[in-house]
Amino acid sequence: MTATARSVGPLLEIKGLKTHFFTQDGTVKAVDGVTFEIGHGQTLGVVGESGCGKSITSLSVMRLIERPGKIVDGEIALNGDNLLEASDEEMRDIRGDQVSMIFQEPMTSLNPVFTCGEQISEAVQQHTSASSREGMDRAIEMLALVGIPDAKRRAHEYPHQLSGGMRQRVMIAMALSTDPDLLIADEPTTALDVTIQAQILEVMRDLRQKNRMAIMLITHDLGVVAEMADEVVVMYSGKVVERGDVRTIFGNPHHPYTKGLLSSIPRLDERVERLEVIKGTVPSPYNLPTGCLFKRRCPYRMPVCEVAPPYQKIGEEHHSRCWLTPAGEPPEVGADASGEEAERAGELLTVEPR
Amino acid sequence: MTEQTTVAPGDEATGMQTSGGQTSAQRTAARGGVAGAPLLEVDDLVKHFDIRGGLLGVSKLGAVRAVDGVSFTVKEGETLGLVGESGCGKTTLGKVILRLIPPTSGSVTFEGKSLFDLNARQLKAARRDIQVVFQDPYASLNPRMSVGEIVGEGLYVHGMTNKRERESAVRELLKRVGLNQQHIHRYPHEFSGGQRQRIGIARALALRPRFIVCDEPVSALDVSIQSQVLNLLSDLQDEFQLTYLFIAHNLAVVRHLSSRVGVMYLGKLVELADADQLYESPKHPYTKALLSAIPIPDPTVRRERIVLKGDLPSPANPPSGCRFHTRCPMAQEICKIEEPPLRDVGDGHMSACHFAEDVTPLHERRSSAQA
Repeated sequence: MTATARSVGPLLEIKGLKTHFFTQDGTVKAVDGVTFEIGHGQTLGVVGESGCGKSITSLSVMRLIERPGKIVDGEIALNGDNLLEASDEEMRDIRGDQVSMIFQEPMTSLNPVFTCGEQISEAVQQHTSASSREGMDRAIEMLALVGIPDAKRRAHEYPHQLSGGMRQRVMIAMALSTDPDLLIADEPTTALDVTIQAQILEVMRDLRQKNRMAIMLITHDLGVVAEMADEVVVMYSGKVVERGDVRTIFGNPHHPYTKGLLSSIPRLDERVERLEVIKGTVPSPYNLPTGCLFKRRCPYRMPVCEVAPPYQKIGEEHHSRCWLTPAGEPPEVGADASGEEAERAGELLTVEPR
Repeated sequence: MTEQTTVAPGDEATGMQTSGGQTSAQRTAARGGVAGAPLLEVDDLVKHFDIRGGLLGVSKLGAVRAVDGVSFTVKEGETLGLVGESGCGKTTLGKVILRLIPPTSGSVTFEGKSLFDLNARQLKAARRDIQVVFQDPYASLNPRMSVGEIVGEGLYVHGMTNKRERESAVRELLKRVGLNQQHIHRYPHEFSGGQRQRIGIARALALRPRFIVCDEPVSALDVSIQSQVLNLLSDLQDEFQLTYLFIAHNLAVVRHLSSRVGVMYLGKLVELADADQLYESPKHPYTKALLSAIPIPDPTVRRERIVLKGDLPSPANPPSGCRFHTRCPMAQEICKIEEPPLRDVGDGHMSACHFAEDVTPLHERRSSAQA
């Protein structure tokens, strides 16, 4: 792909991000060393179950983490600027202008006492020198763009007068009204019916092409990811466990968690007598296991898993946080681990998986 | 053991083809044994919710027609799936069958007895046989009751007053649904969503029912937990010869568990067929659109996508004629005027469409290389 994109560097670059919550019951490492980037115009799917840290990662990018949460380490660069060093003032300009976000629940994200048009217009006026009339014109234009019929009339209606699908369109219209480079969509269709979801995904696909906008799509629905994403990041307990091109992740997953996820969903196009399961539950964030976070649920568990596995490159643009070799075999020695870790790994390693 | 089982192997050669192995009929036979005898019959069931207003708030302004003339039969040992989008009436239908809310008209018979004609004592007896698993494992368990009390309450109400006896029965149930027996004295908030749903299932099982209405039992759960609960439900079906009415909006989940599937739209049943038939060759344009809208978790598969225009019309003021005509890509003049009846379009495949015979299967394309 694109020599141009590489020469200007990625749009969003997250390096070693750690967002922790300091609660009365202890520290929750909601995001613990997350690294990935999104290129211009690319769609990245972020997948994982509740509590894996996918939403906190996106809120960290928006700098919307509230106490007791805190970004304790790492770097988030958007267009080369480190967002973690931006002042609150600068951040307000960046939000909406360069990066916008839409949330899962469109009813709670819209203000019930302003009309849809006013809310979009406000965003436009914040970020441009537009007058309120120009803002409203832009709002109507955007509402039409996301496929709301009779946009002029709808612009003067309040959120409660619209259906769930319509509200999510209003959210998208608002997010896109300032032409951001990056749209963060956090479970944008989870609250919607499938036929409405299909409409919204179509709108997003359309606009992505027209505006050459990058999307960070956070979802637990693997079907939506398969359809929308170029690249996929799989998260588990605050860490990225696997990352790769969408076809690689779905066609040739490496991490046992990714494999488990893919085989445990009932499929419409295939019938199985019995579903595969990932046994057990996600570990409590207050009491994470040592070593590999997935080991208690992992069918490939080996002694070496007592040591945190390296995030190793296993193929072209394909990384996985697992001790298994790129071919999926138990490793001979502590593979790519370094120093002390490798030593311990070597000690613990036996070739037979348990 | 029954003719169903002996017929099944022949089915494979002659009958319905499937993608993954067994046919639905085989599955039913393997699971329930005597599938075939109708256990529950729903006939022309109607549930309207009055919209009241006016000066004193008592004059009737209209009615939300949540369920509007639905008929179907659930056979013993099978799982009948019921799918539809929000507002189609599937949950209301389940509640009326359970007699949690009274019907407007129509009848539901269980083993030949009309559920709506029962007096209080007979109803209590019937409830031993008919149980429910609810959607929200957070809202459907009383936070002030321990697991033992929640699961044992039905046993107590139905006469198992000996505390020790009840406790051992509850422990047995907890074990069966995969919970730790030691947790009998814990409270709901101490459990995860998946575990709570197991508690709900144990409660439903306590009285050894024959029929369970599962209303979106896995939709609140995470993907990896969902498959655990689905497997549990199908194990329990085998073990206790249960019959399920499985209500859900997720078509993939419904397909996995059901032998037959009904599709609802705006209070009406628009299609009812064997699960494999329904998914492989839908005979109603709504079913087809619904199936096409589901993203397939495989980036190499591109499937025909029918994007329906507009939103679901209000069930208080449904469109004339066929209720789907406002969004239907196949709609003709007749669809606005005449309501199509649910009719057999071949092999017991029921569809409520004037043009059912013209509905084509979904196109699907598999690509291997290009990006």
